Amino acid sequence: MRLKLGVIVFCILSVGAAAWAFVPWFDMQRWAAGEQRIFQNAMAGALRGIQAGDPQAVWTLCGATAAYGFFHALGPGHGKVLIGGAALASGVTLKRLSVLTVLSSLAQAATAIVLVGGLVFLLQMQSGDLAAMTERWLAPASYAAIAVIGAVLVFRGARILHRMGQARHAADGCCGHTHGPSVTEVATLHSARDAVALIASIAIRPCTGALFVLVIAARFDAFAVGCLAVITMGFGTAAFNLTVATSGVAARWLTAFGARDQTAMQTVSATLHVTGGILIVAMSMGMLLPYLS
Amino acid sequence: MCLGGTATAHPHVFVDARTGFIFDGEGHLNALRISWTYDEFTTLILFESLNLDKDGDGVFNDADRAAVIDGETNWDPEYKGDVYLEVAGQDYSLGRPEAAAATLANNQVEVSFDLPLSQPVRIGDTPAVLRLYDPIFFYAYTILPATNPIALPQGCEAQIVSFEPDAAESALQEKLAALGREETPSQQNVGRLFSDEVQLTCG
Repeated sequence: MRLKLGVIVFCILSVGAAAWAFVPWFDMQRWAAGEQRIFQNAMAGALRGIQAGDPQAVWTLCGATAAYGFFHALGPGHGKVLIGGAALASGVTLKRLSVLTVLSSLAQAATAIVLVGGLVFLLQMQSGDLAAMTERWLAPASYAAIAVIGAVLVFRGARILHRMGQARHAADGCCGHTHGPSVTEVATLHSARDAVALIASIAIRPCTGALFVLVIAARFDAFAVGCLAVITMGFGTAAFNLTVATSGVAARWLTAFGARDQTAMQTVSATLHVTGGILIVAMSMGMLLPYLS
Repeated sequence: MCLGGTATAHPHVFVDARTGFIFDGEGHLNALRISWTYDEFTTLILFESLNLDKDGDGVFNDADRAAVIDGETNWDPEYKGDVYLEVAGQDYSLGRPEAAAATLANNQVEVSFDLPLSQPVRIGDTPAVLRLYDPIFFYAYTILPATNPIALPQGCEAQIVSFEPDAAESALQEKLAALGREETPSQQNVGRLFSDEVQLTCG
């Protein structure tokens, strides 16, 4: 059983790695960076419009920040790793995961607003220092929190397997009515605690772009407009992350397609918990490592 | 530069760079002329972080110019200005910025300066290669033709070679293939494959 699980996990990871190698990352990154540059300039134009008192500029700014959020999310980032991995691992429904995705992006926007409002306004911190603090402390904190969630998913997968083993053992002894964990028990990420952990781990680190929009807006006495723009940026980010969530849920659905009986369901669920968890841990550790040296 | 950033692969700052080569009377390469034109958003960030246009009249005055020059060229000793020069296959060390100037045009701050070579050097037919890149890609540099090109000595030619993903990938693959037989390439050399560069030859 253990060996079989190892083989399945290995197969899923190698197919994933092969698919990864075929994606034209260079071209995509370059294209996304070019688009980001366009919308970054549009944001600047709208912010100058706000300074000049142009009432239309608010809507231009919100449109530009939404597009910026979308294209910025195309780059390598922490939110996608967790959301994609959780979609694959946990058996969470698409509807619930979508809500979590939108909430985590909005919470990220809220972090930016609280940081700029609190540290720059009240404590008179320099905006450059705030950006440096975000990169130095909040980014690795977020990666570490995400790695922990990945480890919890691996642990839960292992626990399902352990319980299945126990149940089989009990059945062999001919006296038990235990059938191992139920289908709902093997699908995790249902509790409010899990949801909060997922949202918080993403929201710890605000987007640097959002911080700067707020700081510039504040300089032009338009902090409220900045807040609105950062919230639409969050929706832009969420829009991209929703495509990741959908792919993750679809991948899980495809994998579970052949599983008819309960044991097969449990095995698939356990395997996907372990696979998704390993993916999350590996990728977040990859992002965390440069901070540890 | 005043905007920090640790390992990240999102470019946040877009820089249009222009370059020039300055030769001395004896035909040796003496210094590099570098200019950075920041994107409009980064320009607004600079206004905020360097507290420019304090009087709010929208005029980019001498005090603002001085603040930009100080903020952009008075850099830490370990920072090399994201400017890397290679002569005859060897890294060539550069001095600190001189003759810096700052302007504001089309809502973009531009800062330019000269970087003297540690020692003037004769350029032969092996290209001297000038690369501009940020190892962590917080800054994304694009090299453009200079608006007021500095004249080169007779027989010398400078050519911009823009980053091409395919070329970089195949070069990277060759390097990785060579890894087995030769020594480990330094991380920096791998990073260099992804930057625009200017090749200077004198025949």
